[in-house]
Amino acid sequence: MKQFDFEQVGKRMPYAVPDGFFDKLEADVMQKVNKTASPSNSREKTLRIALRTAMAFAASVVLFFSIKPVLPKNEAVDFESVELAFNNLSTEDQDYLLLVYEDEQDLLYNGLTEEE
Amino acid sequence: MTDDREIIKAMHGNPGQGVRLLMKSYKEPLYWHIRRLVVIHDDAQDATQEAFVRIFRNFSQYSREQSFRAWVFRIATNEALRLIERRHEDTMPIGGVFDIQADSYVNYGDLEARLQKAILHLPAKQQLAFNLRYYDELSYEEIAEVAGSSAASAKMNYHLAKEKIIKYMQKND
Repeated sequence: MKQFDFEQVGKRMPYAVPDGFFDKLEADVMQKVNKTASPSNSREKTLRIALRTAMAFAASVVLFFSIKPVLPKNEAVDFESVELAFNNLSTEDQDYLLLVYEDEQDLLYNGLTEEE
Repeated sequence: MTDDREIIKAMHGNPGQGVRLLMKSYKEPLYWHIRRLVVIHDDAQDATQEAFVRIFRNFSQYSREQSFRAWVFRIATNEALRLIERRHEDTMPIGGVFDIQADSYVNYGDLEARLQKAILHLPAKQQLAFNLRYYDELSYEEIAEVAGSSAASAKMNYHLAKEKIIKYMQKND
């Protein structure tokens, strides 16, 4: 009896796919992947949130010490109320304050403050 | 075909581009690998999509010491096996025999169909070793990584599979 020779079939298979299937598969996968936040993206997002929170806190501190000297002496201003006031600002105003704070930090870092 | 190192680099730096390169290199090999295991086109399509999403989500778990090809084939194999488990009462290509004529996207060419039937009659490990070696040309080391076995065991399973296929083909000539 003649032995079966794999070369008679090679890698041919009896299976087929619909026309354009692999293009559709790629598009479907890309769509699913785009909906899925990658772990690295999630980490970046978490870092951004943490950085923003830290900067907002720092800006609140700066704001607190900036306005305290100009307030009447009998008016009590605590840190929580400043933080609350900061949180009540619009996103644009918060961004502006953070930008001012960042600029201030850059100036301090570069040793170029007005006091010098 | 894109080099695996290029895919890995892109997956780290620009995941969107990485997935595109991954799809370019692996969409057809992974689909056909899954299709040979699950047989039905719609099932293979679902499992392939899920496998790519898993590769993307779990990319941080990939270690550069592993073969990237073996890692993606392992995820694809697991996805196929998960699908087979879900439908275990109806059809069982791994460890069982599936009727390939149940799917509409099958050409009933004589030799090709008989060879697939012979492969589907093999025990699970032999079926996996044969498919990965014969169709995908993975090394025995890579097959071992996919199957969670040793390279020697992968080699033995491949040769046993070949012998059984030859016997099946002669018996059903």
